[in-house]
Amino acid sequence: MAESEEEVDVLVQRVVKDINNAFKRNPNIDEIGLIPCPEVRYNRSPIVLVENKLGVESWCVKFLLPYVHNRLLLYRQRKQWLDREALVDITCTLLLLNPDFTTAWNVRKELLQCGVLNPEKDLYLVKLALSKHPKSPETWIHRRWVLQWLQKECSPSGQELKDQAEPRGDAVGRRPCERLQRALQEEMRVCADAAGRYPSNYNAWSHRIWVLQNMAKGNLKVLHDELSSTRLWVSMHLSDHSGFHYRQHLLKALARELSQVGETELHPSKQPNGESTAGASDDNHHNDVIPQLFHEEMELCTDLIESFPGHETLWCHRRHVFYLWHQWRREHLQGAGSQSPPLTHTDVLLSEEPCDDSSTSQTMDVDCVLDGSKHGSYTQDTKRLKRGPLLPHPALPSEHTFVSRILTDCRSTEQNRFAIAYRKWLDSVIGQ
Amino acid sequence: SCSLSITVHVFSNLIMEEASPPLRCFSESHSSELFSDDGVQTVTSREQVSLTLSISYVCQFLARCQSPTGGFGGGPCQHAHLAPTYAAVNALCILGTEEAYEVISREKLLDFLYSVKQPDGSFVMHVGGEVDVRSAYCAASVASLTNIITPTLFDGTHNWILSCQNWEGGLGGVPGLEAHGGYTFCGTAALVILGKEHMLDLKTLLRWVTSRQMRFEGGFQGRCNKLVDGCYSFWQAGLLPLLHRAFFKEGDSTLSVSSWMFERKALQEYILLCCQNPGGGLLDKPGKSRDFYHTCYCLSGLSIAQHFGNKDLHNELILGRDENRLVPTHPVYNICPEKVAQAIEHFHRLPVPVQTGPTPSAMDQS
Repeated sequence: MAESEEEVDVLVQRVVKDINNAFKRNPNIDEIGLIPCPEVRYNRSPIVLVENKLGVESWCVKFLLPYVHNRLLLYRQRKQWLDREALVDITCTLLLLNPDFTTAWNVRKELLQCGVLNPEKDLYLVKLALSKHPKSPETWIHRRWVLQWLQKECSPSGQELKDQAEPRGDAVGRRPCERLQRALQEEMRVCADAAGRYPSNYNAWSHRIWVLQNMAKGNLKVLHDELSSTRLWVSMHLSDHSGFHYRQHLLKALARELSQVGETELHPSKQPNGESTAGASDDNHHNDVIPQLFHEEMELCTDLIESFPGHETLWCHRRHVFYLWHQWRREHLQGAGSQSPPLTHTDVLLSEEPCDDSSTSQTMDVDCVLDGSKHGSYTQDTKRLKRGPLLPHPALPSEHTFVSRILTDCRSTEQNRFAIAYRKWLDSVIGQ
Repeated sequence: SCSLSITVHVFSNLIMEEASPPLRCFSESHSSELFSDDGVQTVTSREQVSLTLSISYVCQFLARCQSPTGGFGGGPCQHAHLAPTYAAVNALCILGTEEAYEVISREKLLDFLYSVKQPDGSFVMHVGGEVDVRSAYCAASVASLTNIITPTLFDGTHNWILSCQNWEGGLGGVPGLEAHGGYTFCGTAALVILGKEHMLDLKTLLRWVTSRQMRFEGGFQGRCNKLVDGCYSFWQAGLLPLLHRAFFKEGDSTLSVSSWMFERKALQEYILLCCQNPGGGLLDKPGKSRDFYHTCYCLSGLSIAQHFGNKDLHNELILGRDENRLVPTHPVYNICPEKVAQAIEHFHRLPVPVQTGPTPSAMDQS
């Protein structure tokens, strides 16, 4: 069907306007999508707004996309001028249909830089684009750029600059740390949404890790919260390797952060008052919390493996968690009588195994710690003994017991295979 | 005659392609070159002229994709980016004529690489862009082919790449991320180019990649517990020749002298039986549509599976008819070994350029 260029022009301009009017009418649009509809209908708008969902009838895309794409390129090549509002509208339309178009995102960056857009508005556009294209790499990259921009705006020096400039909108009025706080929570939601829309969404989960590293660095509360909030999610997405990898990252980050906290407590020279902190409830806090975390994770893994036989991810997760635990124990419980609590018999067994891991352990100065706090640690151990029953920590023998149990009860060939492979791995990699 | 029918495709959908034109040039010309010369002499001089013109046409197009500040962009007048740079250089090396080699401005290319180099040894994909391990491979590939490696260009790069290897044995996009087939290939191949592959935990990497071949499908998955995908026939299976060579250099006596360490026949079955579109071209898995990217990488993987060894020790395992035989591909650059040798020979006659552009910049913050 041959359309005149004018007809296409008129149609497209109308569609662009319709899309942007839809956003103005309903600021709560939370999802966009393509409505399969091959029949061209010039008289009707292809834009459909139902509740908070925005649909674009597919017939118009083949006219819309090249047109809008072209206009933007012409603008970029300085062959055709577009005013700011037109740029906002055009890039919005373009990116909702084709979010991997870097040039359009770059135009949005420029609009942000000169104050036409505010970061929250762009984050909203990104969120919508992700609702249709949950993996789009360019979209996630742009999102990170905007977040970095937001962080700069909220930084002390950024605030000064803003105070000098004209006020631009409501979002700017909020206190900076509140903005960042909201942004952080929003990030987790956006990641979770995108992860739900596409299985094992590498880009979404990688972004989530980036958020932790750049917007919540060293924030124990966030790490703990993330561990609890993703627990249910992974339990409902058993083959989502990326989701479980995220939990592995959380565990590693928590173990690292808590160990550093513990380090500070145990190295008196690092304390301002020169005394080693010996608050009864805080001493060697990390030594309880970290094993507890690993124990709980292994329990979760056991539960899922037993309830849902034959998921490779779960076994992979178990390997990783056990490996992390194994590594952590070697690094932090090296040598007898260190800060380790007197443990269950399984751990006694473990400590009797030849510990020849100089190649893998970190360079932790354990000796100085031992000397400095030998007496202290004895008292602490005694205190801990009085606290109550200790958790059995994961160890090689208990893992072998677990495998045997699975093999005895199991009726799934896949599960069987994974269990045997796990045992082989325990023997060849961990047991050495 | 060679089946170099790239020109027609290249100029269609110039603007709208997801994969930029240089990437199309590479994926299409590489797909073509994998089909061996059928030995038929070009019949008429007109055909020969037409072929020469086509090659010239492509060279001119790629020249227009080259940025005045060095490197190649996704299309004419676009900013330089390491992915189309990798593709353009590969495509030009496949074409292999003097004209093709001369398209590349080596001095500017070096400047571009320095402009995306980061203090920690990594590279961003383009100025103001993000870091991931693909960039190191793209940079190492183009720099080594065109002989522009200066003493400082890859300072710290191998250490950064090594930090991408995670517990699983594979490599993630940046340190701390999930192991992923594409990134693992890029990191490993880059290390091979830099001569540092032995610094990886090779055994764990071997365990990871061999676990990625699916026992039912025969093809490879990109990550644990994911679905098979034809393109991983190259990204994953392509790791085995690299690892084989690395182990060989370490003097491993248990190494096979007849096969890569994956099930070659099963992979060929997957590609030939499940990944072909009846109208031509190859794809991810049954039900998916064909595209040039999958055509390129399924064929590359097929070639890897068919050919073991090198010039001195070579063994072929061709599933099905002899017609299925593809020519071998270079396991690092993924273009024909002859083209690699020819390009390296050409560019090594030229001196390494001196860096003239800006010094390595930190990531653009604004």
